[in-house]
Amino acid sequence: MLKIKKTKLNEFIDFLNRDYSVYAPVEHGKKTTFKKIETALEIDHSAYNTSKSAKEVFFPQAEVMFKYSKEGLKVPERNEKPFAIWAIRNCDAKSLKMLDSVFGDARQHPGKDYFKDPYWKQKYDNCLVFNLACNEPLSTCFCHWFDGNPFDKTGSDVFVVETADHYIMEDISDKGKKFIDSYDKAEKADDNDVKVIDELKATAESYLGDKIDTKPLFDKLKKIWDEPVWDEVSAKCINCGACTFVCPTCHCFDVDDEGKDGKGSRIRLWDSCMFQLFTKEASGHNPRGVAVQRVRQRIMHKYNYFRDNYQVDLCTGCGRCVSVCPVNLDIREVIKKVLEY
Amino acid sequence: MCNNTYIPIPMKVEKILSENPDGSLRTFDLSFVNEEDKFDYMPGQFCEFSILGKGESPFGIASSPTEEGILKFTVNRTGSVTNEIHYLNVGDIVGIRGPLGNWYPLEKLKGKDVVIIGGGFAFTTLRSMLIYMLENRKDYGDITVIYGARNPDLLIYKEELAEWDKRDDLTLHLTIDTPVEGWAKHTGFVPTITKEVSPDPSAWAIVCGPPIMIKFTLPVLKELGFDDTRIYTSLERRMKCGIGKCGRCGIGSKYVCIDGPVFSFEELKSIPDAF
Repeated sequence: MLKIKKTKLNEFIDFLNRDYSVYAPVEHGKKTTFKKIETALEIDHSAYNTSKSAKEVFFPQAEVMFKYSKEGLKVPERNEKPFAIWAIRNCDAKSLKMLDSVFGDARQHPGKDYFKDPYWKQKYDNCLVFNLACNEPLSTCFCHWFDGNPFDKTGSDVFVVETADHYIMEDISDKGKKFIDSYDKAEKADDNDVKVIDELKATAESYLGDKIDTKPLFDKLKKIWDEPVWDEVSAKCINCGACTFVCPTCHCFDVDDEGKDGKGSRIRLWDSCMFQLFTKEASGHNPRGVAVQRVRQRIMHKYNYFRDNYQVDLCTGCGRCVSVCPVNLDIREVIKKVLEY
Repeated sequence: MCNNTYIPIPMKVEKILSENPDGSLRTFDLSFVNEEDKFDYMPGQFCEFSILGKGESPFGIASSPTEEGILKFTVNRTGSVTNEIHYLNVGDIVGIRGPLGNWYPLEKLKGKDVVIIGGGFAFTTLRSMLIYMLENRKDYGDITVIYGARNPDLLIYKEELAEWDKRDDLTLHLTIDTPVEGWAKHTGFVPTITKEVSPDPSAWAIVCGPPIMIKFTLPVLKELGFDDTRIYTSLERRMKCGIGKCGRCGIGSKYVCIDGPVFSFEELKSIPDAF
């Protein structure tokens, strides 16, 4: 374990910037999102949960897949250095692992390049994840419902804890160890630091609300697919899709062309299972034409279908959907309702 | 970087055939522009058909792998991409991605009697399979085809239907929904005709058509004694990426694009929103 003085973070970020394209939470307007940074001065460490999740670094809201013209097709070249992501919270770090199991491989055809997503891989593979522990979880946080906690290290290469005047760094992966070992300006962390971390962790955990056992969700959901509970759950949802856009694990997208006169781009854009058009077929047939079917799809995908395929729930309890919902549809209440039904 | 499955390969329009008098259904024969782009496929698989500037849409491959050098797609003019496809001329270059998805269980069908049940313009991949089986005729037992459409005009591959009707190594039952003057074949919905024809339940059934047709044909097959593991169907959803990423074609925990589009009824019966 190493530590660097908070006042010296700029030196560390400069060092990181040499071999990596560094992304960190940056405040702009009233929002904080992950953006590419040049210096540590740009970082907003106060944002407990960035407005949008870190997924957009690797899976942007709109991304050019190729450009077309009379000369043919051209995939944009990416000459950037590998990515490093600084101050990502555990809920987002974990979500990247989940997204990687979808984009980075294919469950039906493991290892086959044909089924890998090159746009994801070129950004996510070789990236370095600095996961910043949450000293003060928010009232909307519920990571502890899904095997997480504010000091969870899953998904990190380097685990970072912010103390009064230091960042203490623990290498988790080989990649992370190799990097922080190469930084010779850090101090060694001592037993006292370990004690401080334990205290901070205990305080952080005391911020969290009641813990719910979500294990029975999977079986329960399977049983109640056809039950009227979904009408109740979805009654106030206006299908705006905000929850899916801020969600670190939602990854549905659309592919569309933009251009004219034989020249333009094929782009992919975030899409949402909340939208009626998402599944509407040209014939007019729509397998999920009714709002309640779409709300059910979102909940089922998160807590049943994804687990069926990947043995993990597609939710890290980041709580963003809770805070952005315009009609206060709290997914924690949905979970409770389903479990009690 | 791994190879990029999102990049369409160029194919040339070789032949365009209008399948019905109002021109809403057209069949396009495409050839590979570059030798190195040629791919193998099996009946039941699909491709994403690209019109640059408009987007792409999924279509089942209507040609059989035994028809070398071409890919055939029958397209119903209904949305913006299909509209553009209908404007294509012979010689135009289009983009194709594929082959995507799984295929009909042709290995399992070897030595078995097969009943093919189709409706409307969903006969595309069934044509692929039928031609494949006819080319390898000795590998299969009796072949029965039940094919229906709303009216005679909406039956596709009319010339081939006439040829198949003459063959003595397959039984063809054509039907239309309501009587039309001069129509000498069956009249009635596909499920009803299936019941009338009453195929032997030791056969394997391949059902493909509009969701409503599949929904009502399955109980008929069950009643006749067909086992769920021997009834196959091909599902249609709005597949976009085709490789299990974009999430649009989800039915339960399956994705139609990578787990299907061909499923046995055994697989589908545990998925609540398959139909």
